[in-house]
Amino acid sequence: MPDAERRRIVEARGVTKRYGAFRALDGVSFHILEGEKVVVIGPSGSGKSTLLRSINRFETIDAGTLFVDGMDINDPRTDITTVREEVGMVFQSFNLFPHKTVLENLTLAQQVVRRRSPGEARQRALALLAKVGIAEKAGAYPGKLSGGQQQRVAIARALAMDPKMMLFDEPTSALDPEMIGEVLDVMKTLAREGMTMAVVTHEMGFAREVADRVLFMDHGAILEEGTPEHFFSSPTHERARLFLNQIL
Amino acid sequence: MSEPRPAALVEVGDGAAIPVRSDRGLFTAWRIAFFGAFAALAGLALLKPDPYRAILKFVPDGIVVTFEVTLGAIALALLIGLVAGLGRIAENRLVSGAAALYVEVIRGIPLLVQIFYIYYALGRFVKVPPLASAIIAMAVCYGAYIGEVVRAGIQSIPKGQTEAALALGMSRAQAMRHVILPQALRVILPPIGNEFIALLKDSSLVSIIAVADLLRRGREFASESFAYFETYTVIALVYLVITLFFSKLIGLLEERLHAGR
Repeated sequence: MPDAERRRIVEARGVTKRYGAFRALDGVSFHILEGEKVVVIGPSGSGKSTLLRSINRFETIDAGTLFVDGMDINDPRTDITTVREEVGMVFQSFNLFPHKTVLENLTLAQQVVRRRSPGEARQRALALLAKVGIAEKAGAYPGKLSGGQQQRVAIARALAMDPKMMLFDEPTSALDPEMIGEVLDVMKTLAREGMTMAVVTHEMGFAREVADRVLFMDHGAILEEGTPEHFFSSPTHERARLFLNQIL
Repeated sequence: MSEPRPAALVEVGDGAAIPVRSDRGLFTAWRIAFFGAFAALAGLALLKPDPYRAILKFVPDGIVVTFEVTLGAIALALLIGLVAGLGRIAENRLVSGAAALYVEVIRGIPLLVQIFYIYYALGRFVKVPPLASAIIAMAVCYGAYIGEVVRAGIQSIPKGQTEAALALGMSRAQAMRHVILPQALRVILPPIGNEFIALLKDSSLVSIIAVADLLRRGREFASESFAYFETYTVIALVYLVITLFFSKLIGLLEERLHAGR
């Protein structure tokens, strides 16, 4: 499908976020198309997490406009919970609910937010746990799982809400190296199935393989935007070249 | 949101009420004190029936009243404490300000003064029986302390838990109820147990406003029989048995809660 005909799930114009005098986001404009996988990379403190977190209003923006699934995020009258129901999020630190079993982690919001019956929620949860390869741990508490397993559960928990898009905030940064692969595999599967994804990551291999588009950020601005082929082989911006030299 | 988290607050206590779980020997301090107090009461009643039997017959009515005050006050105080604790962390400045003011004012006035004040101040407007007045005074006082325990317990839960709940589309209230409070409960149960024991002991203060609790019954008996030493020996031993019993019960409850994981 040509890009012009695809719906824009996220549409941001001139988004600015200040912490005192510091501009975490400095007039950023970008969009994410339905089904598109956008990977955001850049040095730490460049504003990539802030950018991601502004999409579900974990960070309120000070200026600019930001629409998600047609809803105005910056309008205080917008019921943000309806936005968040449609936008799944995966965190660096997993944030599973430690007092609930793996299964309950997946069923809680389905029942409380989506108002699904316990049986329906359970069925959906078990299907997703099987999908992320962790069905045998349904009755275990998160504390008994490895980091990689926990993050896969966290992805399944977000998917259980049947979101229209997924945000990944450095999903593998807290993992031991040998567990990064299993989490990235789940994300690649998700990408193949057509999920709309925005991913902040330092995994350049993942960006190269999965991304439709790469955004390179520094000092609260998007400096470079394009296909991974373009970005990794011939970045136009000096800072992007320096960054790539450092990490590759 | 950027407020520093006093996570350690919850752990702090004088440790007086809850038996340390490490002492598991046959002759623990708890066992010596508990069964020793029992043996002393029985021994005194057997060896010196006059006046100890008479005292032991006279005070049980007071034990019932002490329980009524304690249980009534702790139930009400938990309710007040939950509201005060949630109020302290509310985003609305007016709500959090009011909760903070309540805590500061109550913690700054001695409980005995509060008991007097609420009894006589309330008495000016409505006729409140001493027992109800005593329960209200104790609950208002302990509500402030429990409110601080609740606040510290909630704030000890990592911010990521709230974010994870909100990211799934839950409202703040839903996140609090399903994710934060159940976890905070594990943290706050030990200090709440301490507050309960302290309240049980402080309930002796209500004898000052003509509530016929354990201490009051003792005073009544002593002033008629002039057996002050014997009476207060019994009163002290009975309080000891009761507080030790409940501290053990709370310790077991806590253990079960942790075993549930």
